[in-house]
Parts: sequence; structure tokens; C-alpha cells
Amino acid sequence: MALLQIARLSKSYDNETKVLKDISFSVKAGEFVSIIGPSGAGKSTLLRCVNQMVPISSGEVIFDNAPVTQLKKRALRQLRTNIGMVFQHYNLVPRLTVIENVLHGRLGYKTTLQGIMSRFTEKEKEQAFYLLRKLGIEEHAYKRCDQLSGGQQQRVGIARALIQGPKLVLCDEPIASLDPNSSKIIMDHLKSITSELGITCLVNLHQVEVAQQYSDRIIGLNQGEVVFDGTNYQLTEEKTNRIYGTEMRELITV
Amino acid sequence: METVANPTYMKRKRNGRISIKAGSKSERVIRLTMMLLFVLTVTAFLLFDYTGLELWTAIVETGQNLKVMFFEPALNHFTWAEAFYQVGVTLGLAVLSTIIGAVIAFFLALMAATNLSKEWVTKVVRVIVAFIRAVPTVLWVLIFAIAAGLGSEAAVLGMLFHSIAYLVKAFSEAFEEVDKGILEALRATGSSWWHVVIHGIMPSTFTYILSWTFLRFEINFAVAVAMGAAAGAGGIGFELFMASGFYFDLSEVGFITYAILIIAIILEVFSTQLKNRYFPSSVRN
Repeated sequence: MALLQIARLSKSYDNETKVLKDISFSVKAGEFVSIIGPSGAGKSTLLRCVNQMVPISSGEVIFDNAPVTQLKKRALRQLRTNIGMVFQHYNLVPRLTVIENVLHGRLGYKTTLQGIMSRFTEKEKEQAFYLLRKLGIEEHAYKRCDQLSGGQQQRVGIARALIQGPKLVLCDEPIASLDPNSSKIIMDHLKSITSELGITCLVNLHQVEVAQQYSDRIIGLNQGEVVFDGTNYQLTEEKTNRIYGTEMRELITV
Repeated sequence: METVANPTYMKRKRNGRISIKAGSKSERVIRLTMMLLFVLTVTAFLLFDYTGLELWTAIVETGQNLKVMFFEPALNHFTWAEAFYQVGVTLGLAVLSTIIGAVIAFFLALMAATNLSKEWVTKVVRVIVAFIRAVPTVLWVLIFAIAAGLGSEAAVLGMLFHSIAYLVKAFSEAFEEVDKGILEALRATGSSWWHVVIHGIMPSTFTYILSWTFLRFEINFAVAVAMGAAAGAGGIGFELFMASGFYFDLSEVGFITYAILIIAIILEVFSTQLKNRYFPSSVRN
């Protein structure tokens, strides 16, 4: 059964240039899907259309049998609790501690007053520490986030997404600002989210090799259109060239 | 390296040297304004009325007055206890208007920040606030004096009014500086607007809010001194007014000036200490 269905999705920011054109695909529960494509292809916009961080222009996004487009405030908040999000620049609150940042993932379940008073249950706090332990950064729990390295901050970001108890995790270029070593750690953690916890992952990536190595399925995006959709071994060099509109050997491989 | 025959993008000054300024309109306007100000200043000095001015005597007498003020400070018309009490009154005026002002300004600033509020709301709040800020504090005090009568009530109300307008601008700009990504991340977890404010905006801007409030407190203290004289709000300002305007007692003026100076220094030290010790911008390992 498809967890996420996207049908004829279009998005334009200024009514003239379409960032996304007529995109359709569906993602099954438990899949690890990478979206690759050149800069400006609309990868980030596509991810944000799924949890309505940007309103879509036309088409339909159905998540967990609910049409995302029609949701209003309260229902939208509820939808977002089911979708975790990981960012390129981690987007943590730098002046707060690691544990506080992780617990932000639970705010979607709180009433306004509970959230303002930071009323997190003991169970939630234990869960936060459990996740930090799993990600190998429990020792930093009481440090301020701006003291952590990039790779560690990204792991806090993953913990924040996981504590939501999501069905889907959206990752917007999770390793684009990291060194190769940290990148591997992050990708391994993301992979284990799918393989161990059965949570679906939709990951924007720059690196073709990484996408091929980790994903069950790859979606290639170019100028707002899906130009490739298939398993990682179907992604031949010729197909890659089509996605990037250039010869593979001309790309700088990192 | 070959030289470009026809450098289309390179701009040269009149003397042929390569220009590194963009030569934009705003630069020209700034230069024109500076020149105009310079010319006006020079002409103003030429047009002053210098009759009856004996420059040397004036300088010496001013020096004499300053010497009496600052080297022979004394209390002649009231006691130490009274002086303390009056300083306390002035501080009270400043504290009241700053604290209440900061609280109200915080909420208005949330409405005035473009990343937190609807566009028309921010515009309305900003226009009102800009209008309030354009009118000097003294005028607001006098305006409120119509309703409340000259005295501390009018002074607090007027200072409060201007403090709010000032702090709304400062706070809302601090709020807008908060990284967009932080707000996006919080919204993506399903947080409500208040959650974003409390958990994203507040921790990121707390030190700014604190330092702006302290700055305004210092301003309000100075204004409260002036209000004592101008609006009969009492406090050390009124004593200063009496000492200089009624008794012509320069040593007492000197004493009061010292008192105000000491309070200002204490406030400054206190605020820096508070900021550095409890709300550091970065943690040292």
C-alpha cells in the first residue's frame, strides 16, 4: 500500500515559472527513496510540498490516505507530527541544549499551553535519551547545540525527527554540509531508520554514488520534471546524464 | 596575461584610475548631503551674531563655573537622605516605564515581525509605532499631562508610550534576524505559532531583548531626570532644576550631576555583568 501518493503536482512561486511540473509518483511504506537532480531542479520544493511547508499550486498529495492539500491549521499540525524533517543546515536552536532541541519534536503533540510551559512527560524525556544513545551522542545531551560538530548536530536533527514517531522522514540534503566521514555516519543512521524501524525515508541528495549505494529507489528530477524513476541498478550512466543534462565524467565526483 | 582592449565592465575615474566604487545613486546622494552639510555649517558660523561677545572672558568664566560645579560639589538645600530618596524616585519612574514598556513591546513586536505575522498586521503596527517614535518623549508626557495632570503619572505614561514604540522596533528587528531554518524546522514538527515563539524565537533573541531593554532603561533614566524638571514628575531632576534655575547654586548642581553619573555607571556595570555572566552569546569550553 502506498504511504505517499503524489499526483500531477505542480508548483510555481510567481505564476510564471513552474518549479515543479506535473509530478506523479508514489512511495510505499518502508521504502528508502532518494531524489537526485541538479541544483534548482525543485528537489527541496518537492519535499516541502509533502508536509505543506510550501502550499502547492495544483495537483494532489495524499499521505496516509489523507489529502494533504485540504488540511487546515489543526489537521495540518497533526499531519506534520507524522512527518519528520531533517535539514541541510540542521536548523537546531543553537542556544538551547541538545536534549531541549530533541524534545522540540514532541511539540506537535502538545496543546499551546503545554508547549509554552515545556511540559514534557518523563516518558518523552526517556525516549529522547534513548534516541541520543542510539545515535551515539548521549554524552552531549546537556551541551548547547552550537558546541557540537556538524555531524553531531545532524544527529540531533535526526533524533528530533524520530522522537515525533513519524511514518515518513523527509531529508533535505542531509549530508551536503558534512565531510565524507560524517556523511557516512549520517547515511548509515538514515538507512537504519528504514531497515530497523520501518520508517519511510525520502532523501534529497546531490551525490549520485551515495544515492545508488543507499536507496531502494531513485527518482531523478530535472527542471521540475521527473526524468527517472527506478531502482538503483536501473540508474545507468546514460540515465544519469539525462538527469544532470551533461556527461557523467564532466561532473566532479566527490 | 593579455590586457583587455575594451574593458566593458571596468569603470574608470576621470583621472583614468580604476574605480572600485559602484558609483550608484545612493553613493552620490550621500556625497551631496555631506557637502551640503559642510557648506551650511560654515555659513552658519559666518552669520552668527557676535556682538557683545568677549571670547576670552566667556571661556574663563565658563571654566570658573565648571570648576565650582565639579570640584566643589556640596549639598545646601537638602540632605543626603533626601538626595537618596529623590534618586530613588527617578529610578522608580524609569523602572516602571521600562518594565511595563518591555512587556507590552514584546507582544507588539511579535505582531510587527515579518517572519511571524501577516503582512498587513506588521504594516499597521509599524506605521503606528513609527508615528509614536517620531514624537519626542517630552511631548508625549505633556500630551498625557492634559489627562493626568503634570506629575509622575503623566511622566510614566509618556515615557512608557515612547519606550514601547522604541522597543517594538528593536525587538521586531531582532526577531526577524532569527534563522528562517529554525522556524521552518519547528513548524515542520507540527508546532503551533506560540511554540515557535517560545522555543525558537525566545532562546535565540533573549540576549538582544535584554540588552535593548537595558539600553532603554538607561535612556529612560536620563529622560526621567529631565521630566522631573519639565513635567514636575519629582525626583532628582526637579532638585536639579531648582538648584540651577532658582538658587543658582553651582556646587549643588555639581553634586546632583555626580549622583546621576554614579547611578548611570552602576547601571551600566550591572547590565554588562548580568549579560556576560548569565546569558553569554557563546559558551567557553
